[in-house]
Amino acid sequence: MTMQDDPAMKEIIDDFCKETNSLFVPLQKTLENLEAAPTNTKELERFGQMIDRIMGAAKSIGATEIATFCELGKTIGYKASQTKDVPLLNVVVAILFDTIDLLSKMIAKLQTGNATPLRGLNTDAFVTRLRWLSDKFKNIDRASCIVEDPDSKKNLSQASIDELMNSLGL
Amino acid sequence: MTLKADMRILVVDDMATMRKIIKNMLTQIGFTNIQEADDGSTAWKKMEDAIASGAPYEFIVSDWNMPQLSGLDFLKKIRSVESLKNLPFLMITAEAEQGNVVIAVKAGVSNFIVKPFSAQVLKEKIDKIFNK
Repeated sequence: MTMQDDPAMKEIIDDFCKETNSLFVPLQKTLENLEAAPTNTKELERFGQMIDRIMGAAKSIGATEIATFCELGKTIGYKASQTKDVPLLNVVVAILFDTIDLLSKMIAKLQTGNATPLRGLNTDAFVTRLRWLSDKFKNIDRASCIVEDPDSKKNLSQASIDELMNSLGL
Repeated sequence: MTLKADMRILVVDDMATMRKIIKNMLTQIGFTNIQEADDGSTAWKKMEDAIASGAPYEFIVSDWNMPQLSGLDFLKKIRSVESLKNLPFLMITAEAEQGNVVIAVKAGVSNFIVKPFSAQVLKEKIDKIFNK
């Protein structure tokens, strides 16, 4: 049974696909702005913020391949926003354009009921390229929106968060 | 403690699909009075209107990463108002960096939930918040 066979889930997936499709134009616009002015890295923050929306919803509907794809795009977007290396930013923009293009194909597949949107798109090599690019920013910590004075960047599981909340008396 | 089914809840997320998922889960848990806002600044306006109308929200479920006013800034804004210091606030996030959790706790978050999550986990978090 695919996700599309469950009527309640199908409605959510249809909404997700429509909403994600509506984000492609603004996502491309941020990249076009960056192409014109590569050091205007606020556009990359905007890109990261928009793709984060897709990532969160993709995770929530169980579209893990799409979520992984978005997570890499988000990490690259936010991390690249903290560099002024123009040649590297040009590479980032080019790869993020391709990311959006492939993402739109994955969404189209999901819309037609394909539960494994990556299959058939030969995206493995592209994911490897995204990981390679992400690795270029491994010395940059912040991979999400700005928060004041983060005490640590260590990622936590829900169980660890619960433990931390308990230890803080919450 | 038994929670009122008609407790006034505000769901804040910049992705409409996520708001729908969360609203569906809250409905599944048994809540009937759920409103939504697409980011912290819209939510703040709705909160002010609700307070002015004498029917303030009793529980906030908010995403972290949003344009205009983030979940964290929305939380800080709420906690800066004396009458809202104890308003239950559940923060939802797609990432779970320890620093973020600590910052949210310092800002007065009631609890924290990481995407993806189920209605059962959401219910457990709500029970924990309201049974303190």
